[in-house]
Amino acid sequence: MMFVHFAVRNIRAYRNRSLVTILLLALTTTMLVFATAFMDGSHAKMLSNAVEIYPGYIQITHRDFRDKPSLDNLIFDTGSVRRVVATTPGIAAFAPRFESFVLFAGDAKAVGGMLTGIEPAAEKKLSRLAASLTRGAYLEEGDGNRLYLGYELARRLKVEVGERLSFVGTGVDSSFAADTLVVKGIFNTGLFDFDATAAFVDKGYFDRIMMAENHATHFIVLPADPREADPVAADLNSRLGPDYLAESWRTTMEGLVQAMLVDSIFGYLTLAVIFIVIFFVVLIYTWLTVFARMREIGVLRAVGTRPGQILRMLVAESMLLALGSVVLGGIIGGVLAWYFHHHPICFSFSEEQFKQYGLAASSMPTAFAPLVILRDMAVMFVLAVGSTLYPIVKANRVRPIEAIHHV
Amino acid sequence: MTHLKRLTAAIFCLLWTASTAVATPSVDDIVKRVEANLSGETAFMRLTMVVRTKRGKRTMKMESWAKGRDRSFIRITYPGKDSGITFLKIDNAMWQYVPRIEKTIKIPASMMLQSWMGSDFTNDDLVRESSISEDYHAALAGENETEYLLDLHPREEAPVVWGRIRMHVSKEYLLPARVSYYDEEGRLVRVLDYLEVKPFGERHYPTRWRMLPQSLDREGHLTEVIIEHAVFDAEIDEAYFTKRALKRFSQ
Amino acid sequence: MSRVLLRIALASLGRRRSRSLLVVIMIVMSLWGLLAMEGLYDGMTEQVIDNAIRSDSGDISIFADGYRSDPGLHRLIANPAEIAAVLDADRRIKSHVQRLRQDGLIATAHYARNGAILGVDLAAEERHGQLAAYLHKGVYDFGEKRRGALVGSRLAAKMKVKVGDKIVLSAQNRDNEVTALALRITGILKTNNMALDDSAVFIDLAKAREMLMVAEGVSRISILLHDRRQVDAVRQVLQAELPEREVRGWDQLYPALMQGREMMAVFNLITSLLVFCVAALGIFGVVLVSVLERLREFGIMLAIGTTFAEIRAMVFVESFVLGLSGYLGGALLGGLTLLYFSRYGLDLSMFSAGLDAFGMDAVTYALIRPGYFLTALAAVSGATLISVLLPLRVLRKARPIEAINRI
Repeated sequence: MMFVHFAVRNIRAYRNRSLVTILLLALTTTMLVFATAFMDGSHAKMLSNAVEIYPGYIQITHRDFRDKPSLDNLIFDTGSVRRVVATTPGIAAFAPRFESFVLFAGDAKAVGGMLTGIEPAAEKKLSRLAASLTRGAYLEEGDGNRLYLGYELARRLKVEVGERLSFVGTGVDSSFAADTLVVKGIFNTGLFDFDATAAFVDKGYFDRIMMAENHATHFIVLPADPREADPVAADLNSRLGPDYLAESWRTTMEGLVQAMLVDSIFGYLTLAVIFIVIFFVVLIYTWLTVFARMREIGVLRAVGTRPGQILRMLVAESMLLALGSVVLGGIIGGVLAWYFHHHPICFSFSEEQFKQYGLAASSMPTAFAPLVILRDMAVMFVLAVGSTLYPIVKANRVRPIEAIHHV
Repeated sequence: MTHLKRLTAAIFCLLWTASTAVATPSVDDIVKRVEANLSGETAFMRLTMVVRTKRGKRTMKMESWAKGRDRSFIRITYPGKDSGITFLKIDNAMWQYVPRIEKTIKIPASMMLQSWMGSDFTNDDLVRESSISEDYHAALAGENETEYLLDLHPREEAPVVWGRIRMHVSKEYLLPARVSYYDEEGRLVRVLDYLEVKPFGERHYPTRWRMLPQSLDREGHLTEVIIEHAVFDAEIDEAYFTKRALKRFSQ
Repeated sequence: MSRVLLRIALASLGRRRSRSLLVVIMIVMSLWGLLAMEGLYDGMTEQVIDNAIRSDSGDISIFADGYRSDPGLHRLIANPAEIAAVLDADRRIKSHVQRLRQDGLIATAHYARNGAILGVDLAAEERHGQLAAYLHKGVYDFGEKRRGALVGSRLAAKMKVKVGDKIVLSAQNRDNEVTALALRITGILKTNNMALDDSAVFIDLAKAREMLMVAEGVSRISILLHDRRQVDAVRQVLQAELPEREVRGWDQLYPALMQGREMMAVFNLITSLLVFCVAALGIFGVVLVSVLERLREFGIMLAIGTTFAEIRAMVFVESFVLGLSGYLGGALLGGLTLLYFSRYGLDLSMFSAGLDAFGMDAVTYALIRPGYFLTALAAVSGATLISVLLPLRVLRKARPIEAINRI
């Protein structure tokens, strides 16, 4: 306890050094906490955007559908899948979809695209389709032949809200399917390819016209906690049996997951450069103060204090300083992370870039994860104390007589 | 001296080819006659198409009018909901009229390899029904009592996806009996059988065509075309082969 | 400043050897890290941009009016020869190539996919953008009869085709009739420009003309300049000379890449500022302490007639010796590191799926720009200067003469 007492006294005695050290360390901790929160948050946001726009956190398909996406590998009994998913814990929402490659024909020309039957109400919870509306209105149950399509597809077909177009496709029984559709709404998700090919109708109507009653190409499942997508998918797999396959977004969107990892690595490399400099600055400041107190140390040694005791005193001092700054920085960083978690930062200037990578996000919330903040604080604490060790040990090696005469 | 030698050599050659030609028709000849026997000057047919998949079967009926290999017109007559859908093919282009949407659609290039009416035939099969004599080199790979076995290798410039086609030709009718399509690696992709040859006036014609895709993703698939009625080489109204016909003859 | 003072300055640095060394090491490390980071990040950004420019957009592209919003064979540049004459007259233009493009279907016995058929002159493309450098497999040649095709790497992977395989292209020709052409894959291109790798089939320009029935006219003329910085100037001149055409710079054709570059510049700037601020703090601490320690010394010097200006100069020399040694060390190490990475590259192929998503090459080659070293020199000088100012003020206020009388 004595060391702590001495340490506190010394910290107060060398106020300037303490202040600079605390400021520096607190600033660094703030930076680390905030940078981590920002990187994690923006990556999570980009991923969740990419996942939530349309692909969904968990997809259930017929086990062979991914390799051979043919009409033979559909989910033929949506009722049974529905029952299983409904009784699986940890699931917030789910719905079947039926995707079908068709030929859309406007007055001007015919364009190939994807016509998908969805359950409008459930889909609203599962994807950003409804939120991406730009003109007209989103679908409702019982909408019949009313169509919700991407703006680029609408542009190619030269149709507007309220106008008609037709489609020609193949029903589930391989029968011929065609009908006239009326544009109800136009969406813009920001994903160019998607907006140029995708169009949606109410699944009730789709099922009638495509003979798809009780059939689906896949189910989309939203876990109550998106971070639990993997275990929920595993649970679904065991409950659904070998005929079906439930896969989380980590499998279906592997490239994007890796891209975020690459981005994080570069982020941490940059932080590393900054930290190296800070490590040296703290080292230098410790060096300066410890050597400024050389005489004091010499006197202490002369009156019989053992080097171990002095070492402990100095380390306690630096630990106290480090602890104080890390806590201060952690709190400031944490508050910032919390604030920007609820008030996301907007990057309107980088919108194009996000679109290019299929991310379609310009507002970036930071992640507020107390455990991660504690981890960063621990890292900073070790770094801070570590940077003081060398000068402390070095000063302690000086012989008492030299120390007393140290200028 | 040398002139004389060359002359004799030439004469020998001539005699030799002439003699073989008498014994069996040349390979190119077989191919040309097979093609002629399959299409004729004009043809009117009533057909039933049965598409079988793992999950069941579906039957469609249609009428078809054709002039040579370049022009044809098809009208669906059954099932009721598809009745009146018409197709027109002129050279390499294909149009479709769908009464339900009252629209004539030109099938774009990007849809050419899509399945035609849910069958194992593609739009391209109908449109490009590529001229075997033009697109392939034929070679006799063997023969027995009843059949010639022909190997058809695509000519270098021919815009066909197959690596090789093997054709069994019946000696009796000079009609194909079985056509196997291979990819470039020599894997069998699909088999088309021509069965139940029946007489139609002067002409014999296979009345049951069976397409058996071999790829894994089409396991259990089968498309059969049954020719119920056919009239060959009769006069066909030119009006069938215009875009206006699509709507006009839809009913 | 007298030689004596210079000697005193160096001597006082030498007296606190460890401390001076620490400051120098700090500057070396921060500079090293910053330079390496800057060069690698810039290398990455420029590589992505360079890929897009060389393989597709050129520095500037010319299209027929309205082509970009409604592409097709009905909007071709009708008189490419006249435009070529205009381009040849401009000394700033290094090279230009003509391309004919039509979307169509690419098929094998097993697969069919939509793609872009690009009619090009391989020899001209090689002179223009060194297209051959992107050859991933096979040869950069259409063969003697020009029946070869170079296929984008991702398209080839999706269609499961390799060099030597046959593909059949179908597309609408100028008369809107479907025409087909059989070609053999002679090479596979990996440009890392996703738009091309995903869908492009390069075929001989004459063959493309034959197939599409386009006797004259091209879809695009791509231009490379001697100096990329002149894009805007040249573009404006060309647009004025060719009013009936769309003349677009690469930054207009790939706005996302331009934004990426700007973001990277801002990011680099912020990082550098942070590092130098922290480093300045380090220098400041050392200079301050060394001034305070020597108050008596300075007092004596003033007393024996040294002017304050001379003492100030001495302190400056001390700090600049520290700063410049740090700079030299850092620049040397950073330069060597960049030299290494510019020659051998940084191999990140383990994250290739993620890099593909960003359109990045698996191996990044660092850039070395003289600017890096000049800015770094300015920054180090600036940091040193700022960190000396405050100690000098302290020195002036401390009235060193009085200090002599203190203990």
